[in-house]
Amino acid sequence: MKVEAKTCHEQTHRPLFTWTRMWAVLVLAGLLGGLSLSGSSSAGELMAPPRVHTPPGAADSADEPLGPFPGVVAPEGTYEGKNVEQPIEFPHDLHADTNKINCLYCHTYARRSAVAGIPPTSKCMGCHNVIATDRPRIKKLTEYWEKGESPPWKKVHDLPDYVRFTHERHLKKFLFDNPDMSVERVDEVCALCHGNVKKMTVARKQKPLTMGFCTRCHEANDGPFDCQKCHK
Amino acid sequence: MSLVRNFIEDWSRYRRSIDEGGFHEYEHMWGMVIDLDKCTGCNACSVACYAENNLAVVGEDKFENGQGMHWMRIERYWDEPNIGNERVRDTQEHGASFMPMMCQQCNSATCEPVCPVSAAYHTPDGLNAQIYNRCVGSRYCANNCPYRLRYFNFFSYYEDSWPSPLDMQLNPDITVRDKGVMEKCTFCVQRIRSTKNAAKMEDRQVVDGEVQTACQQTCPTSAIVFGDLLDHESDVHKLWHKHQTRLGTTKQKKDNPELRGYRLYEQLNTEPSVTYLERVRDV
Repeated sequence: MKVEAKTCHEQTHRPLFTWTRMWAVLVLAGLLGGLSLSGSSSAGELMAPPRVHTPPGAADSADEPLGPFPGVVAPEGTYEGKNVEQPIEFPHDLHADTNKINCLYCHTYARRSAVAGIPPTSKCMGCHNVIATDRPRIKKLTEYWEKGESPPWKKVHDLPDYVRFTHERHLKKFLFDNPDMSVERVDEVCALCHGNVKKMTVARKQKPLTMGFCTRCHEANDGPFDCQKCHK
Repeated sequence: MSLVRNFIEDWSRYRRSIDEGGFHEYEHMWGMVIDLDKCTGCNACSVACYAENNLAVVGEDKFENGQGMHWMRIERYWDEPNIGNERVRDTQEHGASFMPMMCQQCNSATCEPVCPVSAAYHTPDGLNAQIYNRCVGSRYCANNCPYRLRYFNFFSYYEDSWPSPLDMQLNPDITVRDKGVMEKCTFCVQRIRSTKNAAKMEDRQVVDGEVQTACQQTCPTSAIVFGDLLDHESDVHKLWHKHQTRLGTTKQKKDNPELRGYRLYEQLNTEPSVTYLERVRDV
């Protein structure tokens, strides 16, 4: 089993630095010195020029903002999503726009896990056992709550099983590590991939969420470009 | 000053490229050491792999046809009783030997260039990746693999391999492969990715020992060591170094015959990332 066959192309490691080869080292040093004196500050800059992205259709002048907020190039593409029949017609516009509730208040797992998650019914009832208890939708919600069930919400934004996507890393890059952003403006970050949910009643798919949609944004914002980073 | 600094930087980079077999520009270089003297052939690693990676149980008939889906398998070898004279035949090192075999994550892999759709490719962290949703099932890669470590989904195993409620135990971090897709050991890439995700969230580097593959975690004798070969403090790098195993060569030169450590079929120049610790002996 453990017999090592002899092959004709065995490689050997010769010592590469010997004093007899010092002349080669001196020539190399001279070349490098010449390069470094002729203007460039380091070899790293010569090797990798910074990637500059100008989205098609966007103006080339630097005056116009690149994305909806500084430091981010917004992904392009739209999608006409159908209205999804939900057990309760949850009004996103009333909560997030009129009453200015932060997205992360209900979708609290977005900043610390892969999935944003749907809030538990107890979170709804935290407010709604005192607020607007006479409305028909809230009465329906209270029924579910008293039965001890959660409303069978339907998934609107679904990714295929072979895709690995984490909300936390995207929020970290675009929101928490972005010095020009504050947590109050998280809805703009969400809107990059989820559309303007603030103006919708029941959430609807507005962005295609295809691989092209992801890779265009990854290219523009220097995201990872390795297949296995996102495919599992 | 920049002349001297550039020279020193380039020289150290050059020296590093020799030491690390040309993989020094990688972000990580995941590698493994399997101590065959510790391996008892108990098959726990194989079972752990089935649980971790959603491997289909194909049944006895298909297994006999060579369609088993065991990414991690224990190969068992018996020494020929006629070899050697009577006196040495019953010594300790003769008898059965076990060899855990998983994808060797070759750095110049024979499976990668033959894929017509680039589903098999090399990642910047030294992994030989297989992208399942890109695979069209040509099976060129499996035919070109000298180790026979790629497994093909000949049937829709997902339909009957996990009857309800067994489907509840499937790992959500890895795809359940469909019919017509080639699959193989990934060095538990889902664990690597989730650990790196946790490290990035805390703005730090991955610590040695943080990523454990399922087989390593289960091995009762700790025969399997996994880690980053570019991290000079990692256990796996120390073991490679201690046994004078190195990348970028087709034969491991040892100063001392006591040193173990060889890579499988390295004379084919496939550059595997797995080192087996066992004294190479002529029978």
